[in-house]
Amino acid sequence: MASKISTGLVGIAVEANARHKLKLLYENLVTVVSRMPSNTSYRTYTEEFANQQLHKLDTIKDDAELESAFGTGQLEEVLLQAKSELRLARKLETWKPWEGSATQPPTGQWDWP
Amino acid sequence: MASLFRSALRLRNCFGIKASSIGAKNGISRFNVPVCAKYSNVASNDEIIQPTEQIPAVRVPAEIARNKLVEYGNFVSECLPKYIQQVQITHTNELELLVDPEYIVHVLTFLKDNSLSQFTNLSDFTAVDVPTRPCRFELVYNLLSIPYNQRIRVKTYTDELTAVDSICDVHVGANWYEREIWDMFGVFFKNHPDLRRILTDYGFDGHPFRKDFPLTGYYEVRYDDETERVVREPMEMAQEFRKFDLTSPWEAFPKFRKTPELPPPPADQEEKK
Amino acid sequence: MSSTFARAVAAGAAKRVPIKPIVSANPDQAKRRVLTLYKQWYRAVPLIIRTYQLPYAVETVQEKIKEQFMKNSHVRDVRAIDILIIKGEMDLQETLLNWKQDCHVRDYFENPTKVQEPTDFLGKFLTQKH
Repeated sequence: MASKISTGLVGIAVEANARHKLKLLYENLVTVVSRMPSNTSYRTYTEEFANQQLHKLDTIKDDAELESAFGTGQLEEVLLQAKSELRLARKLETWKPWEGSATQPPTGQWDWP
Repeated sequence: MASLFRSALRLRNCFGIKASSIGAKNGISRFNVPVCAKYSNVASNDEIIQPTEQIPAVRVPAEIARNKLVEYGNFVSECLPKYIQQVQITHTNELELLVDPEYIVHVLTFLKDNSLSQFTNLSDFTAVDVPTRPCRFELVYNLLSIPYNQRIRVKTYTDELTAVDSICDVHVGANWYEREIWDMFGVFFKNHPDLRRILTDYGFDGHPFRKDFPLTGYYEVRYDDETERVVREPMEMAQEFRKFDLTSPWEAFPKFRKTPELPPPPADQEEKK
Repeated sequence: MSSTFARAVAAGAAKRVPIKPIVSANPDQAKRRVLTLYKQWYRAVPLIIRTYQLPYAVETVQEKIKEQFMKNSHVRDVRAIDILIIKGEMDLQETLLNWKQDCHVRDYFENPTKVQEPTDFLGKFLTQKH
């Protein structure tokens, strides 16, 4: 394990166990998402995304390579993103945005006069 | 569709930011990572690409950028069919989401927290007053996704007497924007931590950015020598506004000309005549 | 042609702007909230007089507060009342925390002195109005 002194980003500390935590988070995400109805788009997209991330975590051993494979910053940043995605999935579980279609706006609402 | 996030990354790469630039092996980074951020097991300085080396930024062809936006817009509207009324792309390639006002907080939360979106930065939030519409105020949220270098515009609507949920819990920076909109347009935000005037003077009446607010205002303020204080009195103009006809004799925006379609008269009335 | 029109009409009927309450659910609640706000203003009168050193009796200020409330007595829409209450609360906060200055408070009471407009012909001519 390469030791990193600092992330260089204010407020984000170096995480020694980033891989382990990421794995837990993505596995958690998959279980939360699997409780949603199977035909919802959010479920399919997120499952695919999480599984790909997990696959990358398993196959790529070098941290720097893994970061470039994720492409969204250092592992500490990816960790934050995974946390917020998990939070979002839990919220969406209660909001149920897939039930029903959007209410239509009043007639002429989006027309420019 | 399956490769949506891969294409999102590709989209990012198109803008000349090397995806691996954040990685520690090379010294190039978005935020100019200091030397201490580099891995200590890097063998020598020769391996580090110095930040002076620039990767040429190639402008993305408009069509490709547009297709990416279409793809992303479809992704959002598929994920949140209950909230999003319409997805559109302007002629200058800007993605716009038209959203049900009841669910504005939900949509912005999704855009912020979703890993494939990450619109974490609220770059602007304002309102537009269009009095002829059923709901006269249009609220416009401009968001920026820093990791993907993308922008999006979220629009919703309200009227004078309908409250909109405050997004301060999602974007803390919305606090002053919402105060400004309350002050200038009179749109009330529910659950705002500290909603009060921000630009107008204490005792100021009305909302200046509404279209029915007169250009001169209702009151004028001056220092009064007799009472030795600033006094406020009803606006009085020495002269009417002068009118200038500045309209061009040629039509400037034929694209936005709306041909009024007259409804056909109801059939039974014709019969009576 | 006519069918599109019929569809538009039907759609228009379906797409009305839904009405949602802001705070008060019914006129009774709104009325109670107005009275609460009025009492808050009423109780704050001595403090206001002291803070802004107003040269007025307590009764005068109370009268003025009543006048300001009665200005909106014609409002019947519950949501409009709610907005007015919210504005009144903000005004009270501004007044009590001394965010306002003397002139803001005194504007309610004093008619500012004004330069008298000339009424005779020559005066009007000299001030160049009409």
